Amino acid sequence: MTAPEQRNVRRWLTELAAGNRRWVQGAVLTGTLAGIATIVQMVLLARIVHLGVIEGVAVSQLTNLFIPLVITLVIRALFQGLQTRLAAQCSKRVRRTARRQIHRHWQAAGPVAMGQESAGALAREWIDHVEALHGYYARFMPQMQLSVIVPLLILVLVFWLDWLAAVFLLLSAPLIPLFMALVGMGAEKLNQQHFETISRLSGQFLDKVRGLTTLQLFGQTESAADLLARRSDRYRVVTMKTLKIAFLSSAVLEFFASVAIAVIAIYIGFGLLGYITFGPADELTLFTGLLILLLAPEFFQPLRTLSQYYHDRAAALGAGTEILARLQDYGTGAPEVTSQPPGDEIAGPADLITLDQVNYTHPGGTTPWFCDLNLQIEKGHAVALTGPSGGGKSTLLYLLAGFLAPDSGEIRVFGQAPGKTGFGWLGQKGFLVHGTWADNLRLTSPDASDIAIDAALRRVGLGDLVDGREEGIYSAVSDQGRGLSGGQARRLSLARIFLADYDLILLDEPTAGLDSASEIFILESLRKLSEAGKTLVFSTHHHALLTLADRVLTVDNGEVANA
Amino acid sequence: MRELTPWLALIFQRPWRLMLGGVLILATLASGIGLLALSGWFITDTAIVGILLAAGTQVAVNLYVPGGGIRFFAVSRTVARYLERVYNHDTVLRLLTDIRVALFRKLAGANRAGQSKLSGAQWLSRLTSDVDALDTIYLRVIAPAALAGVITLLVALLAWVLFSGAVALGLLAITALAFVLATVAVYVRTREPSYRQADRQEELRTAVVEHIEGFAELRAAGRTGRHGAWLLRQAHQMNSEQVEVDSKVGWYQAISHLLINLCAVFALWAGYSLFETGAISGPVLVLLPIAILGLAEVYSMLPDAFGKLGSTVSSAARLNRDAMPVDEEGKAEIPEPGDDLALVARDIAVRHEGFAPVLTHFDLTLARGERIGILGRSGSGKSSLADTLAGLLPPSRGELARQPCAYLTQQTVLFDDTLRANLVLGNPAATDAELWRVLELVELGDRFAREPDQLDTWLGNTGSRLSGGEARRVALARVLLNPAPLVILDEPFTGLDADTRSRISKRLERWLEGKSVVSLAHGPEALPATDRVFHLE
Repeated sequence: MTAPEQRNVRRWLTELAAGNRRWVQGAVLTGTLAGIATIVQMVLLARIVHLGVIEGVAVSQLTNLFIPLVITLVIRALFQGLQTRLAAQCSKRVRRTARRQIHRHWQAAGPVAMGQESAGALAREWIDHVEALHGYYARFMPQMQLSVIVPLLILVLVFWLDWLAAVFLLLSAPLIPLFMALVGMGAEKLNQQHFETISRLSGQFLDKVRGLTTLQLFGQTESAADLLARRSDRYRVVTMKTLKIAFLSSAVLEFFASVAIAVIAIYIGFGLLGYITFGPADELTLFTGLLILLLAPEFFQPLRTLSQYYHDRAAALGAGTEILARLQDYGTGAPEVTSQPPGDEIAGPADLITLDQVNYTHPGGTTPWFCDLNLQIEKGHAVALTGPSGGGKSTLLYLLAGFLAPDSGEIRVFGQAPGKTGFGWLGQKGFLVHGTWADNLRLTSPDASDIAIDAALRRVGLGDLVDGREEGIYSAVSDQGRGLSGGQARRLSLARIFLADYDLILLDEPTAGLDSASEIFILESLRKLSEAGKTLVFSTHHHALLTLADRVLTVDNGEVANA
Repeated sequence: MRELTPWLALIFQRPWRLMLGGVLILATLASGIGLLALSGWFITDTAIVGILLAAGTQVAVNLYVPGGGIRFFAVSRTVARYLERVYNHDTVLRLLTDIRVALFRKLAGANRAGQSKLSGAQWLSRLTSDVDALDTIYLRVIAPAALAGVITLLVALLAWVLFSGAVALGLLAITALAFVLATVAVYVRTREPSYRQADRQEELRTAVVEHIEGFAELRAAGRTGRHGAWLLRQAHQMNSEQVEVDSKVGWYQAISHLLINLCAVFALWAGYSLFETGAISGPVLVLLPIAILGLAEVYSMLPDAFGKLGSTVSSAARLNRDAMPVDEEGKAEIPEPGDDLALVARDIAVRHEGFAPVLTHFDLTLARGERIGILGRSGSGKSSLADTLAGLLPPSRGELARQPCAYLTQQTVLFDDTLRANLVLGNPAATDAELWRVLELVELGDRFAREPDQLDTWLGNTGSRLSGGEARRVALARVLLNPAPLVILDEPFTGLDADTRSRISKRLERWLEGKSVVSLAHGPEALPATDRVFHLE
């Protein structure tokens, strides 16, 4: 990751938290209060020891200190618990914000740009990468601030008790920022190295698992397992060499913390004996001495905790980089349907689809693909688009659908901007969700009645399939691992179009690669739709479909002509 | 919890290493506790002596033993921590290897139904995260829990020796409660949501993939916004459940920490009665509570680890399921046919589990040395038939007998490894000369002779990238190296142009002399030389 890239990601991570600042502040506040409770706890402990051991106060008279001590402990626990809760809430909200952002980006990018990405990769960004932000907001971010605030509080108190002891603390931790840098560098390297090894090992492992059938065919699984073991072991040896050095930096933190405590203990001991004749040492009592000793480990604890959370930061930066790269990858998208400028509805006749002087350039292209394209399609007509593949049939359909926006010129669908009102779309791949037949059809027509759903399924020839299931339209579409064939899935999509009763239906190669049964059903369905007065625009090479059309247009190399 | 048993057994195959790692962690914790406790003792002692000295009393004070002890603990804590981290990290990497290798061996013996999923990217990524969850179970769960127990017993022993048996028992009672709350209670309270987490995430993933695949249709119907909002709600619900788990873990952590602190207060309070009767001195009174405060460090690691244990158990359960060993009927060896015959298939039906049969009543008799071609368009069940003949997919009915065979699958599978390693899979005994000879046959000899590493050229993602046609030819070469008397080739020439195809095809005829060959392809031009050809309906 380059430095400016990392800065951008960090800025994005901070901006994400901006709307949830109260939660972060709440987590830091409760953490600080827990820190203060810790200090009070140590004060009371030292006080009890001093009174009992030096002043000889009887334990029965110390109750007025023991009770506040127990109360302080309970308060400390309360704030500790609250801190976790607030931080977790913050992370939950931030993740929702991040998912909304990505979702809005998808909306803006449009179906054409989305179709070019692997659905698995997009889903991984939306789910796993966003989940990877959790530790950063729930742990690292509040701890980052606490590791400055709490040590400072302790330092101030120790300074007031005995400035020389405070100087020891300061010297041993040559100012917190330097320490943090040390921790950071070590932890970062450690993480990087560790993740690299893990991913290499996983890669080797997955590679063998993926090819397991091949290995079995050749009877080589045992030797592959041995190879896996040998390779893994070699990675381990190499990794350990680096880790031995990376661990040194955390050892340094440990060393300074230990030495500081030892030095302070010995300084206080000698001071109490009266051996130290300079500085504030002669004012030391068991109370101040013991309190300083008890506070010393608490001074270092927040930093040690922070170093444990460093991998959360690394994970968030890694995930953030990829999400940000996706979010910044604009430019190919269509305008959002909802963000049409007002007043668009008035232009254009209500019974025509019109393209007026439309220019469109493919993203990354230099010359316009469609140049000053003019076209009129009458309502109720069935229009076929033919021409060689790559000639622009799909692009024209995308423009009519509003999935792509023209560079200039105007497209009006029955007087409205394309995509303004619902229309039917049938791509080359049918679309079904995990659920019942009814779920699948109500996806686009939520208010449809059971009878209407049943009728729509029958019209596309899926009636037999539904009849075969016990619960009819309320049985799962894919039952016991048996999915739908490509043709059946496309017919399911067509059933949605029947159900929704759209005026305009756009179809991209509706019969390509279908089995003959599905082909017949789709042809028949389109004929019915056309007879019902729907406007159909479809790209096709299929002879039977061409005969169905009222008008055939040839789209080739950006030219659209009557065939 | 039973799901973890096989994996724990695997981890405990290295008892000495785990023990030594544990001892190093113990040394780190004990040094930290010793440093603070001894310092507290020292300060109290010097405070008392200081007052006596100031009053003019002559007291002998030994500064060297406690001073030396404090310095020793300061250094030993650092050294032990460093050694512990290095040593235990090494252990984790070893366990990582153990687990992966063991899992691989189990998967290799797993039943066919499990293996049909092997190619799915989703399955593979889930497998990875499940294995990762098991890798850390020793360092996150087992070691801290065991050490919390050991170090608590040590501190109780100290309390018994320095204070009294009653104090030691009281201490054990409070810490035992803290221990149960930090481990068992957390696990029980978070088990279910934690166990479900991965499944919920997979459900959500399916829904997101559907949303993306249906994006155009949803957009056309004006439903992307609403369907997206539904997805957001699902994700939010999943995270809310996770927040509940986190919060519970946080509360249990706070409560167990509180109990440790209360235990220190108890030791101080109980110690005072002993101090007043003169049974213990002031410095000893201070030593024990400070030592108890030090326990908090090891207890604080527990709740988080036990809160994740539920999901670790579910990972183990999934891996156990994936690696379920073959049942007896799946194991059945394919018998050899009679003399002069290479393959006999009688009334075979080919069927994937849960699907309608792809092929029924299939008969084939292949004499030794005979070469036949089977033609069928894509989707005709050609590759499923090849899988069945090769023994990958047991026939759902009918009888099959054949000689040992080498099988070129329709899918080209190369490993992230050297060219040599990829080739010798077909015949581990092959000499370099043989490898070059077969590479010449598939017209890759020159291609790799030009590479600086020649036979050791690295293939796959990280190495030199092969074109689809080149990869296909490497896979073909691998099958040709295999000495089996029967060869099954499914679309052997995918990605090759017509000229190359016919040249290789000619050489193939000579190379395969004396062997029996079944070739399958979508059209006659994609078949090598055959004695007879028939079509699949």
